[in-house]
Amino acid sequence: MIVTRSTHLQRVALYAAVSAIVLWTLAPFYWMLVSSVSEQRDLFSFPPVWFPRTISFERFWQLLGIGSLGDIDEETARPARLFRSALLNSVIVCGITTIVGLTIGTTAAYAYARLRFSFSRYLMALTVMVHMLPPIATVIPLYILLRKIGLLNQLSGLILVYAALSVTYVVWVMNGYFRTIPRELEDAARIDGCSRMGALFRVVLPIVVPGLIATGILVFITTWNEFLYVLVLVNDPANKTVPAMIAEFSTQDQIKYGMIMTGGIIVSLPPVLLALIFQRRLISGLTAGAIKG
Amino acid sequence: MSSVEIRHVTKSFGLAPIIKGVSIDIQDGEFVILVGPSGCGKSTLLRMIAGLEDISGGEIRIGSRVVNNVPPKDRDIAMVFQNYALYPHMTVAQNMAFSLKLKRSPQGEIDERVARAAEILGLKPLLERFPRQLSGGQRQRVAMGRAIVRDPQVFLFDEPLSNLDAKLRVAMRAEIKALHQRLKTTTIYVTHDQIEAMTMADKIVVMHDGIVEQMGAPLELYDRPANLFVAGFIGSPAMNFIKGNVGSNGFKAESGQTFPLAAAPAASDGRPMVYGIRPEHIRLTDEGVPVEVVVIEPTGSETQIIVRPAGERDKPVADHSSAITCVLKDRIAARPGDMIRVMPDPTKLHLFDGKTGGRLN
Repeated sequence: MIVTRSTHLQRVALYAAVSAIVLWTLAPFYWMLVSSVSEQRDLFSFPPVWFPRTISFERFWQLLGIGSLGDIDEETARPARLFRSALLNSVIVCGITTIVGLTIGTTAAYAYARLRFSFSRYLMALTVMVHMLPPIATVIPLYILLRKIGLLNQLSGLILVYAALSVTYVVWVMNGYFRTIPRELEDAARIDGCSRMGALFRVVLPIVVPGLIATGILVFITTWNEFLYVLVLVNDPANKTVPAMIAEFSTQDQIKYGMIMTGGIIVSLPPVLLALIFQRRLISGLTAGAIKG
Repeated sequence: MSSVEIRHVTKSFGLAPIIKGVSIDIQDGEFVILVGPSGCGKSTLLRMIAGLEDISGGEIRIGSRVVNNVPPKDRDIAMVFQNYALYPHMTVAQNMAFSLKLKRSPQGEIDERVARAAEILGLKPLLERFPRQLSGGQRQRVAMGRAIVRDPQVFLFDEPLSNLDAKLRVAMRAEIKALHQRLKTTTIYVTHDQIEAMTMADKIVVMHDGIVEQMGAPLELYDRPANLFVAGFIGSPAMNFIKGNVGSNGFKAESGQTFPLAAAPAASDGRPMVYGIRPEHIRLTDEGVPVEVVVIEPTGSETQIIVRPAGERDKPVADHSSAITCVLKDRIAARPGDMIRVMPDPTKLHLFDGKTGGRLN
């Protein structure tokens, strides 16, 4: 009886702890959602209005270019007008970065994992170290570099920087992934009739698909959320990505919280959708190699 | 089927020599086992035959063709790996058909060959399963099936039974031997297990430290090992080695005991020698050498006794220098601490040079 009661209490405590963590995690998103659909005056009222009195999706229509911008001031209207192109820029930049990062990073990771060449361990350590550097330490040198090669303020310059950084991440993750795959699989494939590249494409890559998907999603989300580089490296509003465009709603004179929150909701959707669609693959990819099979 | 010739083959990783000039002739249809302790170079040699490792020097021929620079896929060989190396994203049937698909064989032929291999190995009910759904023994059979469907010139096996439990290993050993007798394909098999080598091979090649110590038929190696290494490696329990030299009335051990000799070898002028006797060639007699029983291990069919010269019973267990292992067919009543007398059969003894380790008789 005592055992049952203590088990029951443990379960209650566990659920309470889980609920607290979920609440803690989701509260900012809830507040973001409430703020995006609330009236302007409700955003600043105290005590806060947790349940909006009226719900309006007007800001969403304005940002997505469906609704009229007639009655809002020019300072807010300018970034609102450019929001759709920023969304497109984000998709282009993140899409190309993910493809380039995965292609170069995966082949490099395979080379590090499988081929014997001089200084491979040091080069690998150096590659991973690049990822350890705080962005603030590299942003100024990158700014100078891009200016010298004429890619400042351009999507291509931004893609170059993001792809270079994502390659280091992909090399790091996929190298560990390749090392969990027995070398004999490739040996068997080579004896069965594959070239070395054939063995990579026909045998190794199909096995690492969950890892590729997980890594690709993480690269996409990291790039999608990146703020500092785009803020410094791109000044031209037409070439900004969404995070930088949202920041435009905060000006010297005013901060348009409603627009910022609406932008935040829109920008959060693609990563969440990606994670939901690939949920199972993402988890199997992130946990592969953790336990000896 | 095809013969394999290995001529003065060497292999170095950087400056470290791994294979130091190995020459082996393998006849068409022969079952040859490369055996030796870990790190002796046997797996490297097999991988060189497969084309998975470059050859630093020498020549390898499969049939009449020198294959030194031929890629693995063009050597017409099939290999079975220790960890099976089955493609995890393919079914059993797809695993077996993979090489034929790459060769663009007609689908009808692929199906027929896979079905025939599955029939031979009893894999028919498993063809649509994935490797993860199979037991260790079944995976091993699929790996062999993948090799069989190709109908290669040479089968290469790299410690294929090491991952199986003892009982399954014995069963698979018999299956591989039966398969070889049925297909008669030239087979090169690597193992560190001398029992596997003794029971399966037509010819055993004992390797040690990158060289061939001896090659020959299993019983030839067992009965006349060329040196101390082969004598100690082949046979379980291992041959007893007693250090000493030849005296006037027999072999005088360092422990002071005298062991019988059938005939002293020439040039036995007091130089250090090793007296080798297999455990089953020792019997208990009243005229034998007095020793003290240390351990008795009855297995039912036989009794294994470890003895030491009197007074040395308390030597550390790991010190084998004066321990003698006897395997007796009879059950005996002795207990640890008892004094018994043992007599090696002088017609079955092996004498080795104490310095070079080479055989003297």
